[in-house]
Amino acid sequence: MIGHMIVQNTLHRPVRTFITVIAVAVEVTLVIMVVGLTSGLLSDSAKRTEGVGADIMVQPPSASIFMAFSGAPMPIAIGDKLQQLEYVQAVAPVLVQFNSVNGLDIVYGIQPETFRSVSGGFVLHDGTELRDSNDILVDDVYARAKKIKVGRTLHILEHDFHVAGIVEHGKGARLFVLMSTLQEMSGAHDKASVFFIKCDRSDHTAAAADEVRELLPHYEVRPLKDYISLMTSSNLPGLGAFINVMIGIAVAIGFLVTFLSMYTTIIERTREIGVLKSLGASKTYIVEIILSETTLLCFAGVVTGVGLSYLTRIILLKVFPSLPILITVKWIFLAGLIAILGGLLGATYPAWLASRKDPVEALAYE
Amino acid sequence: MEPILKTENLWKMYRTGRMEVPALRGVSISILPGEFVSIMGPSGCGKSTLLHVIGGLAQATSGRVLLDGNDLTEMSDAARTLLRRHKVGFVFQRFNLLPTLDTYHNIALAQHIHGNGFDPHRFEAVASLLGLSERLRHKPSELSGGEQQRVALARAIISEPKIVLADEPTGNLDTKSSETVLALLRQLNKDLGQTIVMITHNPEAATYGDRVLHMRDGMVVNGSAAHS
Repeated sequence: MIGHMIVQNTLHRPVRTFITVIAVAVEVTLVIMVVGLTSGLLSDSAKRTEGVGADIMVQPPSASIFMAFSGAPMPIAIGDKLQQLEYVQAVAPVLVQFNSVNGLDIVYGIQPETFRSVSGGFVLHDGTELRDSNDILVDDVYARAKKIKVGRTLHILEHDFHVAGIVEHGKGARLFVLMSTLQEMSGAHDKASVFFIKCDRSDHTAAAADEVRELLPHYEVRPLKDYISLMTSSNLPGLGAFINVMIGIAVAIGFLVTFLSMYTTIIERTREIGVLKSLGASKTYIVEIILSETTLLCFAGVVTGVGLSYLTRIILLKVFPSLPILITVKWIFLAGLIAILGGLLGATYPAWLASRKDPVEALAYE
Repeated sequence: MEPILKTENLWKMYRTGRMEVPALRGVSISILPGEFVSIMGPSGCGKSTLLHVIGGLAQATSGRVLLDGNDLTEMSDAARTLLRRHKVGFVFQRFNLLPTLDTYHNIALAQHIHGNGFDPHRFEAVASLLGLSERLRHKPSELSGGEQQRVALARAIISEPKIVLADEPTGNLDTKSSETVLALLRQLNKDLGQTIVMITHNPEAATYGDRVLHMRDGMVVNGSAAHS
């Protein structure tokens, strides 16, 4: 009976219902997209770093795991010392540069030989490897997104590069240039941001890491298998807070809209509440009706929001094909839960007000 | 015979600013089971207030209201709610049907709140008695005033209350519909023994009851036998 009543109530005021559902849907979409974008970017970055094929990465003391935020303070000569260690098979220094022209990208400055010795080399889709100081390699995702072909000029880092080849994605960055070129451009002569180390056997990784720590005390020495687990929003300064603020704003939207919607509903239905009371409906019964209706609206909003999130992802991927957006079941569930709880919280006060209405006054309401 | 409803020196005061205005001033009435009593009086004489107090919708300021042996003046709000649910059926001048529900659900709602589950036999009997069997899927906006009041009447009696309190049930109806509704009230009283207290300021409507109580300035001034 209550189910029928609340469905009829929601159908009775379609515009109000539509607005509430859309507000909750926007809330859900906002949560899913903010989390999906950040975790997608982090996960994508982690996978690509892992895809370099190294066992260990070495960074300067106190360096961020987010390589784009670290400078290049390590002398490249360290690579020679690392190469001497017992369990080290190959060392590849990489200079990392952050590019913000035409999008946000990380550029790897590499030495083709050392990078190949660690990563096993690029899988070329088209063109050649890096040969000239102005050459650049782009991965297939970037090439597809920017419609880049071999031989074209690519203007990044205030420099015109010649696209020498298109390579399979998944080897650290999407853009690769010669390390010497990047050192020259960034004034970081003989410097590297990170050393990727390939061990002679993967079960020697821990021993090799200990050797490196002994050689370079205070440096950040990270086995790559631990890297993905470190790539979370909580490890990026401010990102966790940003996500929380965005979720907070989303919840506030849902809360306020639900509050206003249910508040106007109970004002509008004052006489009906009086009728229910005259029939002997308890306060709990009236609260149950209001909260059940809110749950229904929020649930419809959650379903719409999930659909809207996937639609937004499709649209974003059309516009920015390389944008990684990770929509997970966990966050769909959490966003739904947040929206429903926020909505119920918003409806609590109107429901309480409704339950306390004086039946005589309510019946006389015009 | 024990009265089903009895009030003793019933007072109800309303506060307007600093002033206390008496709506009921020592009302003492007694209604027997199976009686159909009309209460008449001019606007503002306290008829509706009396109905609200004896139906447990409002609390008396002083005095006693005994409904089926329960003293409403000593009851909490929750207890009066429970008493309304099980022992009182209301019919209002403006029908007060839920606009989003059809006839069937408006009537079934009372049974649902009553809590004894849906009784299809009782439902069918009431719908048939009130001539609503063909109008069960219609919403209030699709019904005439007379039909709406019949739905309200069905809702009031579906859970077999001890007493039906009707507040100007024909106040919003044309003559023909009024006669139909009054005849139905009379029939419910005669055939089912339903106790009814009806407020009206229509002397003709009042004659449908067994007796008429006259109110003025918050007091019952006299009672008389009705002349149908």
